[in-house]
Amino acid sequence: MINSSILSGVDLRKSYGALEVVKGVSIAVDPGEFVCLVGKSGCGKTTILSLLSGLEKPTQGIVTLGGKEITQSSEDELALFRRENVGFIFQSFNLIPTLSAWENVALPLFPMKIPQEQQRQRALEMLGKMELDQRTEHLPSALSGGEKQRVAIARALVNHPKIIFADEPTGNLDSATGEAIMSILQRLNDEEGVAILMVTHEVELAKTADRLIRMKDGEISS
Amino acid sequence: MNLRYMAKELYYQRRRTMIAVFGLSIGIALLIILNALSLAYRQAAQIPLKEIGADITVQRAGDVPQELSGAVFPCSAVTIRKEEIERIRNLPGLRGMGKALLLWVFDPNRAWILLGIERENSIGPAVLKYSIAEGRFLEDGKSEALVEVAYANQYGVKVGDALSISGREFPVVGLVDASRATKIAVANVYLPLKEAEELAVVSKQLQSVSPYASGDVNLLFVKADQDKIASIASSMKTILGDRAAVATPDSFLKLLGSLFALSDKFTLAASLIAIVVAILIAFKTMAGNIAERAKEIGVLKAVGWTNRNVIFQLMGESVVQCFLAGVLGLFIALVATYGLSFMNVSIPIPWEMSPTPHFLPGGGDQIFKTLRLPVAVPWTLAIFAILLSVVIGGVTGGLLGRHISRIKPSEILRHD
Repeated sequence: MINSSILSGVDLRKSYGALEVVKGVSIAVDPGEFVCLVGKSGCGKTTILSLLSGLEKPTQGIVTLGGKEITQSSEDELALFRRENVGFIFQSFNLIPTLSAWENVALPLFPMKIPQEQQRQRALEMLGKMELDQRTEHLPSALSGGEKQRVAIARALVNHPKIIFADEPTGNLDSATGEAIMSILQRLNDEEGVAILMVTHEVELAKTADRLIRMKDGEISS
Repeated sequence: MNLRYMAKELYYQRRRTMIAVFGLSIGIALLIILNALSLAYRQAAQIPLKEIGADITVQRAGDVPQELSGAVFPCSAVTIRKEEIERIRNLPGLRGMGKALLLWVFDPNRAWILLGIERENSIGPAVLKYSIAEGRFLEDGKSEALVEVAYANQYGVKVGDALSISGREFPVVGLVDASRATKIAVANVYLPLKEAEELAVVSKQLQSVSPYASGDVNLLFVKADQDKIASIASSMKTILGDRAAVATPDSFLKLLGSLFALSDKFTLAASLIAIVVAILIAFKTMAGNIAERAKEIGVLKAVGWTNRNVIFQLMGESVVQCFLAGVLGLFIALVATYGLSFMNVSIPIPWEMSPTPHFLPGGGDQIFKTLRLPVAVPWTLAIFAILLSVVIGGVTGGLLGRHISRIKPSEILRHD
């Protein structure tokens, strides 16, 4: 199973001093799979997401992403790897307030040697997919919560990632908007074949996923 | 480095940008103004000597004449002998020399301050040939005189009149306006050097105080390489002895009494303080700005920016801000120096360099050369200040960028 996975973490542990937050978790995500990690606040699910995406290094264990073992990579190697293989969606959108919608989408492309017009075209294409064609020049402050999250999804997609990590993507949205975002993620997963690993504490939302993993006290409970 | 991102960050975070730019610009302006002032005082100190084409003047003090009759030397300027002149002429770094013979002539009905001058020389009182107000300058081999305009007006002397000095007749061939020349070269009457020598040679009073032979003088004006002025002045004192009075731009600078004039070290220390203040302001405001953007940096790193990408982006922003601060600082300094250029400065002329007998009415008064302080910002200083701003920006941005780029995106983003 591990060999065919787009993402795998084996026996992952993470401690902050004496506090062990993740206790020997093994997890795998197949290409095109939509996996939800569910658990109460503080159970360690966001930490697992950080370990699997290379934002953080595990105290113990191995993470393989896109066939590459990333546990021993340097910080810059991880950054480059994320740029080419991974997309992120955060609970509070994390858009840059001084950049327009399309510029926020193109943010991962800025350090790449791609002509600016090409960067813009790719960003506009992604915003088109999110039905934000009319909002491309707007600053985040001029967008609604749902629009901001759709911009964030477009940003996560702009580098054609193999997998998207979504950390409570509907946490800051009302239920209707949250559902709309979920359907977008579902569509991306179905139509584009992008694997998604989503962290949430809302079990109802998690039911739309292909697979649901429950976490409790730093361990997988089911 | 993404220029679009940089421009938008600086534009939309105007308050942040303005604080950083204004803060640093004050430091840069201070640096420029301090150095421009220091330079201005240095230039002002050179003016009294430059007006007669010299960098150094030399004379030697002697005894007071026992009796004030006929031609005598002022006690501040007695004989400098031919051999001494030749030794001085051979000093390394000396580029040229002018000579003059200053005499006080006490005739029964009138006293004259008389200066024997060379006819052709770009150094020394011969430059008065460019200050002829009426008539003409002295001609070769002729026994004639020039009269200073103010003196001529006071005593009704006109071109064509004849002056009787120590029993000799000198036709007045021109009036000379010495008011623009330094006080050192101001006399009532100017004679060819040779004529003044003859008056000195035959004066018993003069010879009894300070033996004099034709070819000797009592005032020397020296042009020298700028970096050799101090060493030449020192050598001259060695040649002429303890009673030599050597005036250089530095000696005038000391007389100015300004903090800027007193010492290079003051300007250097003040400049260093201005630079340190500028760096601290830049560092503090930018450190605050960057700390506010920790989450943004975390996002950049999460979406694939390397530490190097982050550092260069922040460094670019910092360099642009500091460059703008440099330009603004330069502008502030230009306005301030323009204002300061209306300031007058009075340079005291040492009494021994005054040609007027101190025992005459007003002769003992302190005389000053008053001039506008020549404050200006030289282009080299302007470029240095701008470059310094850019360097401060680069270093500050680089250090802060390096520090902030080390944050782990997970630490920042976990607090959503």
